Amino acid sequence: MEIIITALKDSFSLILKLFIIILPLTISYEFLKHKQSQIEKIRFSIFGITHNGLVPLITGIIIGLTYGAGIIIHSIRTSNINKKEAFLILLFLSVCHAMIEDTLIFVVIGANGFILIAFRFALAIILTYLMYKSKLLKS
Amino acid sequence: MKDYIYNSIKKGIINGLSIILIMAKVIIPCYIAIEFIKHLGLIEIISKFFRPFMGWFGLPGEAALGLIAGYLINLYAAIAILTPLNLSTKDITIMALMLGISHALPVETPVTQKTGVNGWAMLLVRVVFSLISGVLLNLLWKLL
Repeated sequence: MEIIITALKDSFSLILKLFIIILPLTISYEFLKHKQSQIEKIRFSIFGITHNGLVPLITGIIIGLTYGAGIIIHSIRTSNINKKEAFLILLFLSVCHAMIEDTLIFVVIGANGFILIAFRFALAIILTYLMYKSKLLKS
Repeated sequence: MKDYIYNSIKKGIINGLSIILIMAKVIIPCYIAIEFIKHLGLIEIISKFFRPFMGWFGLPGEAALGLIAGYLINLYAAIAILTPLNLSTKDITIMALMLGISHALPVETPVTQKTGVNGWAMLLVRVVFSLISGVLLNLLWKLL
């Protein structure tokens, strides 16, 4: 019985800590949604990912795949993103997504956040670049 | 203008609460389960069993439980399991990197598939790079 009570107490304090982190994120996500039309105006192209892919890319990096799914699926289907670009975006996101939430919840239990972010961004950029240059993908 | 700020905050709080509810449903049972496993002395056995595999990442054997929970359920389950194990900063950072790249696979693979990209290829990429980054970060950590 004692084990259950300790486990409950500890898990509640963990949930509370996570809640304090999640709340600012979900609120800022709502503000970010309003900025979507402004983000769509930016023009650029870097290793196969163009401005068309910017909205799904930013959504994925900040919010993650589970909660950002709606926006990511919608914007990949509706804007002029070809198969190759979609693959590159998803490849980038597969390594580098939900960067704020994922990092912070592990920092709460003692991880080094700087190493996490630096490593994941570096790996995602290298991977996407190599895939873009490689001849495996021909649209 | 005021309305949009008010609505954003309200919606943000509602979403935050619903995420916490999902979290609590996962964290509490996992936490209780792992406390029982610890109490029954099963950690030693699990640790021994996974030690050769987890050694690749410089992690103790019992961390495999967190890895499995993260891959198959989600990050919150992994955190609930890792917290009572009292791992070092290095261990938690390596776990966080591996789990950050690859987690909640049964949920996220269909999401990637719906974008028209091959879901199985993405699954493979994520798991392989999760494992490779674990090995790499462990090696880097030893150098620094």
